[in-house]
Amino acid sequence: MLHHRAKSIGIGIVLGCVSLLAAQADGDQSARSNILALEHAWDQAQQRGDFKAIAAILDNSLIYVDYDGALLTKTQYLTRVKENSTHMEQIVPEQMTLQRFGNTAIVVGTYRVKGMENGKPYLRRGRFTDTWVRTGDLWICVAAEATPILH
Amino acid sequence: MWKLTCWFALLAATPLLAQNSSQSAAEEARILNLENAWNQAQGQKDGSALRMLLGPELVYVDYDGKLMDKAEYLAKVQAPSLQPAKLVNESMHVQLYGAVAIVSGVCHETGVKNGKAYSVRMRFTDTWIRHSESWMCVASHSTLIDQ
Repeated sequence: MLHHRAKSIGIGIVLGCVSLLAAQADGDQSARSNILALEHAWDQAQQRGDFKAIAAILDNSLIYVDYDGALLTKTQYLTRVKENSTHMEQIVPEQMTLQRFGNTAIVVGTYRVKGMENGKPYLRRGRFTDTWVRTGDLWICVAAEATPILH
Repeated sequence: MWKLTCWFALLAATPLLAQNSSQSAAEEARILNLENAWNQAQGQKDGSALRMLLGPELVYVDYDGKLMDKAEYLAKVQAPSLQPAKLVNESMHVQLYGAVAIVSGVCHETGVKNGKAYSVRMRFTDTWIRHSESWMCVASHSTLIDQ
């Protein structure tokens, strides 16, 4: 009887651990999906010129380094997006990988931008790194940097 | 009475705020020292010092857009064809989010690569994460800027 009870307790503990791990995995998966969805939303908002939507996912203290090495605040970045929207035709994210460290996530990816500048068409490829931090239930981007792919 | 209570609450909070701000300043200074230590280790090709500063999952984007992991970055730094002469950080700024720190700055690097002299200025953003008492860099990204 004692043996059976010990066995039941053991199974209970294992089941408890399994559901805890599953819940954590679910939580991790949901955070990943959430952040990647925000990345896509950012691209789409940029293409639509929806500055309100972009502003909502960026921290007010955002540090943004553009592909030309310019250091921009959130306001400066939004102004630049507004200027670029007149000649930017398409932004295509190519691939993204996400690494999560608790309440911080790093997204690295590549993108292509197509547009027309001074009457000439251009096509740029770049790599970006975005840093996301969770504040309460929300993930917010606190830093982003883009670099032209030259290699 | 409530005015007096508010006044006392404010007085009580002031040393706490001062303590928090001095703690943040200390953390910021610590991270800036780590950034400078990184430059020194890179200049001296000190692999063990670099291993201690960088997280095992490091994502490193070089100024030409190349993506590297920690092993690839260490191999690049320690390659005999790369001989850095000077690595200097300018105008660094630290932004703290609890156990996360974002450092932005400009790095000026000169040296010899594949027998040719080079001089680059790049803007970088590094993400540091605190694990118990130590900080480790988990992401670093650089972009060329005009000389």
